[in-house]
Amino acid sequence: MANYLAQFQTIKNSCDHIVIAVEDVSDLWPNIKSGFEERVPIKRASLNNKTRNPVLVENFPCEFILTTDSRLRSRFPQEQSLFWFREPYATIVLVTCEDLDEFKTILKPRLKLIVQNDEKEWFIVFVSRAHPSNDNAVKMAKKVYAKLEVDFSTKRRERCCKYDIHGPEANFWDDLESKIMECVRNTLDRRVQFYEDEIRKLTEQRFMPVWNFCNFFILKESLAFMFEMAHLYEDALREYDELELCYLETVNMPGKQREFGGVDHGDDWAALLNHENKPLTQIVQDDSFREFEFRQYLFAYQSKLLFKLNRPFEVASRGHSFIIGFSKALTLHENMLPFCMREVWVITACLALINATASPNYDGLVATDIEKEFYRLKGDLYSLCRVKFMRLAYLIGYGADIEKSPVNSALLSMLTWPKPPVWPSVPLDASPEVLEKEKVILQATPKIKHFGIQRKPLPLEPSVLLREANRRRASLSAGNVFEVFDGRPALIDGSASDASSRTPLSKKMNVISMSRTNSSPGTFDGSVDRPMRLAEIYVAAEHALKHTISDADLWKALSSVEEFEQKYLELTKGAADNYHHSWWKRHGVVLDGEIAAVCFRHGNFDLAAKSYEKVCALYAGEGWQELLADVLPNLAECQKMLNDQAGYLASCVRLLSLDKGLFSTKERQAFQAEVLRLARSEMKDPVPLDVSSLITFSGNPGPPLELCDGDPGILSVTVWSGFPDDITLDSLSLTLTATFNADEGAKALRSSTATILKPGRNTITLALPPQRPGSYVLGVLTGQIGQLRFRSHSFSKGGPADSDDFMSYEKPTRPILKVFKPRPLVDLAAAISSALLINETQWVGVIVRPIDYSLKGASSAEMTNSNGTQKDCSLASIKEFQQLKLDNGRIEFPAWASDTDSVIWIPVRAISDRLPRGSSSVTPQKQSNLDGMRTIALKLEFGVSHNQIFERTVAVHFTDPFHVSTRVADKCNDGTLLLQVILHSQVKATLTIYDAWLELQDGFIHTGQGTGRPTSSFFPLMISPTSRAGIMFSIRLGKVIDKDEVEALQAESILNIRYGIYGERTNGAHPPVAMDGIETEDARQDLLFKSAIVLQRPVLDPCLAVGFLPLPSTGLRVGQLITMQWRVERLKGPEDNGISEHNGEVLYEVSANSENWMLAGRKRGHATLSTIQGSRIVISVLCVPLVAGYVRPPQLGLPNVEESNISCNPPGPHLVCVMPPALSSSFCIPP
Amino acid sequence: MATTACFIIVSRNDIPIYETDAGSATKREDASQMHQFILHAALDIVQDLAWTTSAMYLKAIDRFNDMVVSVYVTAGHTRFMLLHDSRNDDGIKSFFQEVHELYIKILLNPLYLPGSRITSSHFDTKVRALARKYL
Repeated sequence: MANYLAQFQTIKNSCDHIVIAVEDVSDLWPNIKSGFEERVPIKRASLNNKTRNPVLVENFPCEFILTTDSRLRSRFPQEQSLFWFREPYATIVLVTCEDLDEFKTILKPRLKLIVQNDEKEWFIVFVSRAHPSNDNAVKMAKKVYAKLEVDFSTKRRERCCKYDIHGPEANFWDDLESKIMECVRNTLDRRVQFYEDEIRKLTEQRFMPVWNFCNFFILKESLAFMFEMAHLYEDALREYDELELCYLETVNMPGKQREFGGVDHGDDWAALLNHENKPLTQIVQDDSFREFEFRQYLFAYQSKLLFKLNRPFEVASRGHSFIIGFSKALTLHENMLPFCMREVWVITACLALINATASPNYDGLVATDIEKEFYRLKGDLYSLCRVKFMRLAYLIGYGADIEKSPVNSALLSMLTWPKPPVWPSVPLDASPEVLEKEKVILQATPKIKHFGIQRKPLPLEPSVLLREANRRRASLSAGNVFEVFDGRPALIDGSASDASSRTPLSKKMNVISMSRTNSSPGTFDGSVDRPMRLAEIYVAAEHALKHTISDADLWKALSSVEEFEQKYLELTKGAADNYHHSWWKRHGVVLDGEIAAVCFRHGNFDLAAKSYEKVCALYAGEGWQELLADVLPNLAECQKMLNDQAGYLASCVRLLSLDKGLFSTKERQAFQAEVLRLARSEMKDPVPLDVSSLITFSGNPGPPLELCDGDPGILSVTVWSGFPDDITLDSLSLTLTATFNADEGAKALRSSTATILKPGRNTITLALPPQRPGSYVLGVLTGQIGQLRFRSHSFSKGGPADSDDFMSYEKPTRPILKVFKPRPLVDLAAAISSALLINETQWVGVIVRPIDYSLKGASSAEMTNSNGTQKDCSLASIKEFQQLKLDNGRIEFPAWASDTDSVIWIPVRAISDRLPRGSSSVTPQKQSNLDGMRTIALKLEFGVSHNQIFERTVAVHFTDPFHVSTRVADKCNDGTLLLQVILHSQVKATLTIYDAWLELQDGFIHTGQGTGRPTSSFFPLMISPTSRAGIMFSIRLGKVIDKDEVEALQAESILNIRYGIYGERTNGAHPPVAMDGIETEDARQDLLFKSAIVLQRPVLDPCLAVGFLPLPSTGLRVGQLITMQWRVERLKGPEDNGISEHNGEVLYEVSANSENWMLAGRKRGHATLSTIQGSRIVISVLCVPLVAGYVRPPQLGLPNVEESNISCNPPGPHLVCVMPPALSSSFCIPP
Repeated sequence: MATTACFIIVSRNDIPIYETDAGSATKREDASQMHQFILHAALDIVQDLAWTTSAMYLKAIDRFNDMVVSVYVTAGHTRFMLLHDSRNDDGIKSFFQEVHELYIKILLNPLYLPGSRITSSHFDTKVRALARKYL
């Protein structure tokens, strides 16, 4: 049966759709062919799949072929059963007949003959040629068709339909399609059943020796092909899957050693999507197929079906695992395959898959996660392709252009070398190429990392290539390896080849290169016995690969370094993009870093910096510091090249803030030196920089600094420096942020002097000006180093400096400073219990009471006095007493009194120039405390720097010791007057009167010859506090002296009292201050008190009488004119009159309140009054009252006459009633 | 015991908070960086896989030639990642479970801030002992 393989392939290639046979009984086909073929492909068809479930197929293709066609006729019956899938699936019998007899006799037997073959699925189409206008013919056709139906249709199945040539009925085509599909469905079911039975039979014999995979394959693929023709791709795919399973089972059966394949030219070019790569007949191997070709063939069919099913995602996913699996198979047979066949195959396979799945846009077609997975797979494919590509490039000596990054190292260093049976050796005529390679190796300068970072480069090879290649050469045993290295064991470790190829400038390498250059070209004879050198290995690999690779594009990509880099970039970009699309950001970003490395090498620093920034952001964001430490120097270098000073500085700072273990001290110092160099010299303009990760700060542990409102202070802050060396900050400022007041901007504390930060912990102190009340936290630390303005936001935890983890969370901020709301810090009050003596020096006590606040330091009090003098003062507290010196109105506060309550005693003398006046019983005393009030303005300056000022004015009441009142006790017949003087004690102290005398005013004399003193035995007189005492003086009226002398004499009597005062301050007594302070306690201190007393001579006979004449009875009204009248009458004759008059005229004056009255007549004038006793005149004045109510009327006064000579009626002020004005019509009065 | 085993605990913020080299092989100088790289890249896979299963032990999720990454995800999405070359699946599972208990004890420490680096030497000793026992 295997012989049919070729034929099977031909058949398969020639027919790709289902055939429907047309049995044209009545030669009708040419007429109706076009109508039928228009219906193809059938729009919707229902078929059964392998599990007999109905499946809807759209656009079902089929072809109508006449049974007389050669394609159907020339088949052998044997072939028919084998390739049954190509046989017609339905037979349409076309008939026409216009005569019943003809039908019965000719047509019916013929039809019976045609349809008797059971295997055919058939149905009859009766074509009616009758024209609709021809009723007879139509009727006849109907009759014949009815007969036809009776004969051929059964109850179970309708097998007839009628086609009208002149306009078919509307439902004819639907009917036809459904009939066709019914036939096809039945045939398909039957054939599937047949194939399945056959396959089952073969499967049962699977483990028998006679079993032949090719036969099984033909059956299985026939079935699959039939499904494919019927557009049942799912079923076809399943058949191929089963076929693959079965193949893998049988191919790996032990005992049967088969050829693997893959040795032909062009086999390296993966054909996993090209099923027509090789005809199957070429890959037949005994009873089966060669694995290499056949597995690719199967996959090609599977992917073809998947593409037809519009599932490119699955192609990618199956393809990826197929490549992985197939690569393993290639590894197993590597020793039979050409050099690096596996790598080349994988590269081409990946590229083929990528290209096949790349073109359409699948966005939105599928669920997001499937799409993600699809991109991920493509990323994987790119990545796989990239690795193999790099491996090939490395083998031919492009290793220097492959970045030794973690990703490349991880991918390559764990990937084994190809294992050819014999490592390719140098072709004979390749010596120029070897020289060329040597030159490249020698010229390759080692890449020096920025900042002088010394790192062993990451390996790109699983083991040393030199050793591996030489070991695999047949003649060379492993023991000879040492010869390769000239016996230098130092070079045999992992990095030896790297070192030898990249650091030819080092001494050791010079020796080797010398030996190389000294060797004559003649030695490059490819001699098998001599170990190959690296350049030779490269050249040998290149030649071998040239032989292996049949893909011209791939070979071109490997032909030069530039081409390699271009392809490398293309693959890396593809992988990165796809990983990014699949949200595998870590994979994607890492590959971005690889792109950056290439850009960097080509001086495209802008692109490189952008990509490196992405990589750094990823690693920094996730805190993978070791990885970050690898990339960050590259970024820094890019930024340096781009002259991006801010970025470069930021990178340096980030490098410094990485774990200390990642860089040596020397390297860290280099970073710092770079920062300083830029800051101090290179930069022209100030550059801001965030150093939060490097310089951190915190308040000191413990409670926050507490300050009263207005007080300055000193804030101490701990600053951690991550710099490896001391660093000098030109200036430093720290902001304080109020916690409860967001609107208020942060306040900066500045320290303009240079600060030197040691590595690690530093404590700096900052002067704190007075702040507003509130609680403050540390805000931002800013400062300047040269032109560099740095700022740091971060708090350090105040512990060890490895605070990188600490950065990731927010520390609850602790207040560092509390400024209290303004409150009284001190209180001043007068320590006086009762009134003080006026005109005497008195101790005034001022109580100084600090309220939870120290008056320490330069506290000083200043006081000014409203009216008085002051002397030295003394300060006393409960425990201590100290005399202080008053200096320019200020005293310094002693330290001991700063925290306790204390009293300052200040001697003060209130001065009153006015003589105290006594009061008489006639004019009682008018008490007024204000007379004795004095104020003392106190000003206390205190606080740390005299910033706090407390001012208070203290009122002190001063008083005379006595108040004197007089009364005439009796008026004797002989003219003696007994004058009683009553002394009211005004102070809270016992007063002792030692002496009292009265200096009488003019007109009064003492009786007898006395000096005006009472009897001397009367004294001393004690007066208890606030009590009274009386003294009697006997006086009489004396002669009035001439007018000239009156002015010289006193008009008042003066009472003199010599007294003493006893008592203590604690009891309220205030004895005067002893001036010199040496006076003994018992020394009597006499004080003199003077008080003026006015004695009045009695008024006995007035000479003029003034009377206010009554007002009219109608009363007064506002605005009404009225005449006020006074009558003046002379009571005495001119002889007894002391009044100066001119020709009997008296001066009068009318006075009135101008607000109440308007006067119309003369207010002041002379009126003639006869000097004769009893003469009288009336003075009248016109006036108008201005306000209503009781008002005082105008008064008549006689300015030239003493009051005592005038008798008035009414004697005192009086009131008159003024009515409101009469209503006037001009006023508007509401009704 | 495995010749190579790099164990890393990654916090929910993707930050490595604990790292140890539990392998018996002499450490290559550059290996740690490469191991970090492999484990870091594997986070991409963990992020996809972690939500597809309710099990904490995700088994071997990534293969890097002959190296395997096994991952255990705690309820708080802290990931224990082990890069190893042995195939002792049960041992790895037990290792993870016991490390999880240790980790919970660390979490219970009121002075330990979740997400910060684990610096406890006791923890380190215990983890190394567990690695010797199971891997």
